[in-house]
Amino acid sequence: MRLKRTPLLASIVALVAVGGVLNRTAYPIWVSNYSPRVDADISGLQADQLLIALAGFREMVAGILWVRADTFFDEGNYDAILPIIRVVTMLDPKQIDVYATGMWHIAYNFTDEQNRSDRRYIPSALALGSEGARNNDYTYELFFETGWLWYHKIDDDYDNAVDWWEQATERKDMQVARKNILAMAYLRAGKFDEAIDHYEGLLANAQAELKKNPNEFANRQNVDTLEGNLDNLLVRLAQRGNFAIKGGYYDQWSYDTRPPYDVGFSAQVTVEDSKVLRVEGTWGVQPVGTRVRIVLRDRDYASGRPAAMVWARSNQVDLDPEKNVTFMQDGLFVKNQAFFRRVDMSRDPTMYPFSSDNYVVEFYYNPRSGPPHIQDRFGYSGEGLTDKNYLNTEVREGQRVIFASLELTRDQLLRQGEWSTKVPIVRTKGYVATGSRQTDEVINVPGLRNEPEPTE
Amino acid sequence: MNAVLSIAKTTIGEAIRRRVLLVILLIGVLFLVIAPGLSVLSARQNYTVLTSFTLGIIQLTSAVIAIVLTVYLLPNEVERRTIYTILSKPVYRWHFLLGKYLGAVGALAMMMLLMSTVLVLVFKIMQRDASMEDVMRLATAPIFFFVQMSLLAAVAMFFSTFVSPIVNIFLSGGVYLIGTLFSPVFQDLSNNKNLSPAVKGAATLVHTVVPNFAQYNIQSGIINRGPELRSVELYYATIVGYALIYITVFLIAGMMVFDRKEV
Repeated sequence: MRLKRTPLLASIVALVAVGGVLNRTAYPIWVSNYSPRVDADISGLQADQLLIALAGFREMVAGILWVRADTFFDEGNYDAILPIIRVVTMLDPKQIDVYATGMWHIAYNFTDEQNRSDRRYIPSALALGSEGARNNDYTYELFFETGWLWYHKIDDDYDNAVDWWEQATERKDMQVARKNILAMAYLRAGKFDEAIDHYEGLLANAQAELKKNPNEFANRQNVDTLEGNLDNLLVRLAQRGNFAIKGGYYDQWSYDTRPPYDVGFSAQVTVEDSKVLRVEGTWGVQPVGTRVRIVLRDRDYASGRPAAMVWARSNQVDLDPEKNVTFMQDGLFVKNQAFFRRVDMSRDPTMYPFSSDNYVVEFYYNPRSGPPHIQDRFGYSGEGLTDKNYLNTEVREGQRVIFASLELTRDQLLRQGEWSTKVPIVRTKGYVATGSRQTDEVINVPGLRNEPEPTE
Repeated sequence: MNAVLSIAKTTIGEAIRRRVLLVILLIGVLFLVIAPGLSVLSARQNYTVLTSFTLGIIQLTSAVIAIVLTVYLLPNEVERRTIYTILSKPVYRWHFLLGKYLGAVGALAMMMLLMSTVLVLVFKIMQRDASMEDVMRLATAPIFFFVQMSLLAAVAMFFSTFVSPIVNIFLSGGVYLIGTLFSPVFQDLSNNKNLSPAVKGAATLVHTVVPNFAQYNIQSGIINRGPELRSVELYYATIVGYALIYITVFLIAGMMVFDRKEV
C-alpha cells in the first residue's frame, strides 16, 4: 500500500509552519540567555576557529590562546597580542578579563619612543569595551572599565564616564568602594548636585550597613570615607563659589575663585629637525605640576574638533587604527611658570606618518582635568581662570578654558623643500621667551594667590 | 507497532556491535577521562575549562556517532539485501524507516548515557565541593545534546533515503553546521534594514525552515552563569517540541521518498 502524498505534504507544510513559529519564539530567548555572545559577530573567525566554535571548545581554546598571549606580553611582542585578543573575545565572549586587559593594552601600551601612547587605537579600545559590556551585561566590570578609559585615558568628555559608571552602579555586583568614583566623574562633568546626591545616597546605605553590623571594620571605614568625601565636596563647592553661582549671588561675596587669575599663556613651536619639535612657553601659575595638553594632528582629521576628538566612533571592533593619519598628544609639564618639551616623532614613522599636507598644533587647558588644589583657585568650570589672549568659552560649552591653535605644513614638519635650510618657528600672540626658567634645577613655590611674576 | 519495535531493537543490537561506533565512543570517553589534565593549559578556572572541554567532547562525539550511525542504516540493508527479507513480511516501508530511526536514537541514547555518566563522575572527582545542584545543572546539557542529535539523526535518515552514505555525511554535516553556527547570521540578515527585501526574505526563509540546532547548546549558561529565564521549563518544552516537529517532518519526508524508491 502506497502512502498518500497530498495529505503528507500538507502535514509537512503545516508542521514546518508551526516549527517556524516555535523557532521564532525560542531563538531570541536562547540568544539572550544561552548564546555566548549577544551580538553574534563571528565574521572575524577563520575556518578552523569556526570549527572549534562549532565543536564546543570555545572556552578551552580561548583559554589556551590567552596563555599564549601572556607569553607575548612577557616578550614585549605587543602587536602579536592584538589578533589573539580578538579571537579570544570571539570564541569566549564571557572572558571578562580578556576584554578588560585587551582594552587597557590597546589604549595604553602602543607607545612611541617617548612613551606617548598611540591614541588612534582609542576608538578600538572603546568598541571592545562596549562589546564586552553588551556580552556581559550582568556584571558591572566592563561598564566600569570602559568608564575608566573615558575618565583616565581620554581624560575629557566626562559625560561619557558618567554614563558608563551610572550603568556600572546599577549592577548588583558593583563593589561598594568603587561606587564613590561616580561622584568624581559627576564633578568633572560639572554635575555638582548629582555628585552630592550620589554621596548622600552612598552614605545612607553605608550607615544602614553599619547599623546592621556595627562591629564590622569595613562598614565603619566606609562611613568615615564617605563622610570625609562629602564634607570635602561641600566645603570646596562653598569656597569655590559654586553654591553662590547657583544662587545668583556670586558677585556679592568673596570666593577663592574671585577675581579670575590671568595665567599668562603663550607658546612657541620650533621644528628643530625633521619631525622633532621644541615646544616652550609660559604659564603663570606658580604651583608645580600643571600639565598643558598639546596635540599635533592632521588639520583635516575626520574625527578632529577644536580642542577635542570624537573618540567613540563605532560599536564595531576594528583593531587596525587609521594608519595614514597623525595624532600626537602630550602633556607640557609646568615648572617655574614655564614649560619646555622636546617632542621627537622621528623614530616612530608608523605612529606619525605625516601623510597629510597641513597640521594643527593645539594647546588646551581645562581646570576640570586639574588636581583639586588648582581647581580651588580656577573653579570647576574656570570661573577663576582668565587669559588676555587665549581664554575660550566656546570649545567647551559653559566652561572657561585656555585654547590656542597654531598651524604647520608637512614641508615645515619634515624640514623639506624651502624649509630644508630655514628653521620653522610658529608662536602664539604675545609669546614671552622663557629663558632657562623651565630647565632650572631650583623650583620656586610661592602661594597661588600672589600676583604673577613680571614676565621676561 | 510491534514490527517497528522489533526493527528498532534489532537496530540497537547491530549498532552496539559496530566497531567503528565503539571506537568513536571509546575515544570520546578517553578524552573525557583525560580532560582534567588539560585544564592546566588554560588561563581560565578549572571549573570553566573542565566543563567546557567535557561538554564539547560529548557534543562532538555524539554528532559524529549520530551521523555515522544513521547514514549507513538503510544503504547497508539494501547492500546486504536483508531489506527484502523484512519487506516480504507484513511490514510497511514506513514501519521499517521508523523502526530504523528509533533504533538509531536508542543506540545513541545508550552511548550518550555512558558518556554522561563518565562526565558526571569526572566532574564529581575533580570538583569535590560541587553540590548536587551543580551536578544536575551540568547533566542538563547532555540531555539537550541528545535532543539535538536525535534531530540530526532524523536529518541523516531523510538524506539516506536518496543519497549515498558519503554524500549524506557531507549533507547532514552541512545542515548541522548551518543550523548551529549560521543561525545568528541568517537572523542578522533577516533583520538588516539595509538589505533588499528579496535578500531579507531569503534569509528569513532559511532561518525559519532550516532546523535550528543552536538553541540546544545551553552549556554557555552552565559554564558562565545561570540563565535568568522566568520559566526555564517553558523554554525547554518549546525547544523539545520544536525538535519533535522537525523530526516528524524529516521522517515523513523520508517515508515519502522511501515509499517510492526502487530497492
